[in-house]
This record gives sequence, structure tokens and C-alpha cells, in this order.
Amino acid sequence: MTDMALVVAVGIVTFASRVSYLWRPRRTTHAQPFLDLFPLALFVSLATVGLATPDGAFTVGPGLAAAVGGVVGAAVGRRSIVWVVAFGTATFYLARLL
Amino acid sequence: MMDRSSLVKGMRDAAGLAPALFAFGVLFGVLAVDRGMSPWLAVASSAIILSGAAQFALVGLLPAGPGAVLVAVTGLALRHVPMSAALARLLPADLSRVRRLALAYVLVDETFGLTVVAARRSQVVVADYKTGADVMLVVNWLAGTAAGAGLGSMVDPTRFRLGELFPLLFLGLAAPLVRGRRAWVTAGMAAAAALVAAQVLPPAWQVTAAAVVAAGVGSRFRD
Repeated sequence: MTDMALVVAVGIVTFASRVSYLWRPRRTTHAQPFLDLFPLALFVSLATVGLATPDGAFTVGPGLAAAVGGVVGAAVGRRSIVWVVAFGTATFYLARLL
Repeated sequence: MMDRSSLVKGMRDAAGLAPALFAFGVLFGVLAVDRGMSPWLAVASSAIILSGAAQFALVGLLPAGPGAVLVAVTGLALRHVPMSAALARLLPADLSRVRRLALAYVLVDETFGLTVVAARRSQVVVADYKTGADVMLVVNWLAGTAAGAGLGSMVDPTRFRLGELFPLLFLGLAAPLVRGRRAWVTAGMAAAAALVAAQVLPPAWQVTAAAVVAAGVGSRFRD
């Protein structure tokens, strides 16, 4: 398989998963609570896994400090994305200096 | 007819993510060329796949062969199925197929998160808001990839360690959604499940598995 063919295959797998429910509108009332909560679960999972090193370990460092700063920003800024990112980024670079 | 204010709001909100997306694109471009991809194929992969996680898995696993790449990408892509269902619920039933295909093409974590938050917090036309955010994302992702692929090893995008700020971005997208007991349980469960998944599952399956488990457990609770 050439690299180009592999890129197209990966594109097909990715697009197929994305279009699954968008192609035809369907009622999914039985799954509504799950779907309501899935975005939150997804972002917390992405954030948590993103803090791990490639071997799955969690170490104390600027990345973890940024997450703590982000949580503080969320509390101070009434859960605003801007506050989370601003506090977290400031904490990240501060932790790198220390 | 598009709602101009929703479109512009989507672009404006996504503009805040632009530097990180561009830098991430540069990182991918540099890495792809370093792993033997031609610059044009690196850019083409960003246009065809349009998924940072899948593209990094692709270049990272290229030496292991197409089978390993496709297994990893399938694990990463499975999270799009509930994302697709959640977004579909926010769209009007009479939205054209062409618009639906376009929205599916750019069903990416970042703009999906912005759209879900905007739909809950403000009066926007969801399809138009997401289109605006998607345009900003695609432009920055492609421009970043092209810059990285073109400049190659002349730049060191890891210098500012912007990649380490991505968890923060996702934390920011999660924060507005944490309201009520059920949401708190889900957030706690997602963090716990991700901690466990990072220890026991291959990287490509960690996020999908943790998110599905957490949303499944959370949906059993009442607010």
C-alpha cells in the first residue's frame, strides 16, 4: 500500500465515523442523557490523557501546573474558556521559570 | 441563507485557538517530512484526514505498516460516532445533505466543543456558527502543515512546548459544561477512567474508552 493510499484509507475511516449520524437525522431519545454528557466526558478524558507521558505515567511538571491553573481559572472566571486558558497558560510558563 | 452573526461569532471564538492549531500543524508538517513523507503529501493528508490525532498516529506508525495504522485510527475515530450523534441533535432536520457532509468533514474536537458550548450558552444558528469555527480551524491547520512541511528541520516548533497546552484547551472546553450533579459525576468519572486507561490501554483507545464509560456511568445519575 502506498503512502497516498494509506492517507486516503485513514481519511475514509475518519470521515465514515464523523458522518455516521449527520448523514441522516435520526431520533435518539433513548440515548439522550448519554449524548448530553458525552462532550464533557470526551474533553475531560482528552485533558487527562494529554497530561500523561507516552508510557502512561503522570509526572509533576509545567503541564500539570497548567491544568491546576486552568481549574483555578474556571473557578474564578465562572467556567469561562478564556479564563481557563489564560490562567493555565500563565501558570504553565511560570512553572517553567521555576 | 447563512446567519452572518453566527458565522462571524464562530470565526471569532475559534480565532482564540488559532495560534495553537497553527503551531500543532507546523509540528505535524515537520514530523511528517522527517518521517519520509513528501511535503505535498503532508499537506494533502491534512486536507483529506483533517484530524490531528489520526495524522500523528499515521506518521508515528508508518514503519509498523498499514494494519497498525488502521487499527489505531479506528480506535481514535470511534469517538466521532457519539460526537456526530450529539451534533446531529443540535441541527435542524431540514438542513441540506451538503451542509451535513461539510459539517461532518470538519467534526473536530476543538470546534465541536466550541459549538456545544455556544449552543448551550447563547442564541446562535448552530450550523452557521460551526461553519465559521471550522473555516478558522481548516485555514490554520492547513497553513501550519504547509509551513512545517516547507520549512522542515529549519524550525523547532517544540521550543515553546505549545503541545503541552492542549490539555488546557480541552479543560477550557469542558469547564462550561460542568453544571449539576450528573455533570460533576461524569467529569470525575472521565478523569478516573482516563487515568486507568492511560495505564492499561493502547494510546489510540484511551480517550474513546474513557469517555464512553464516563458518559455511560454519568447518564445513570439524576441531577
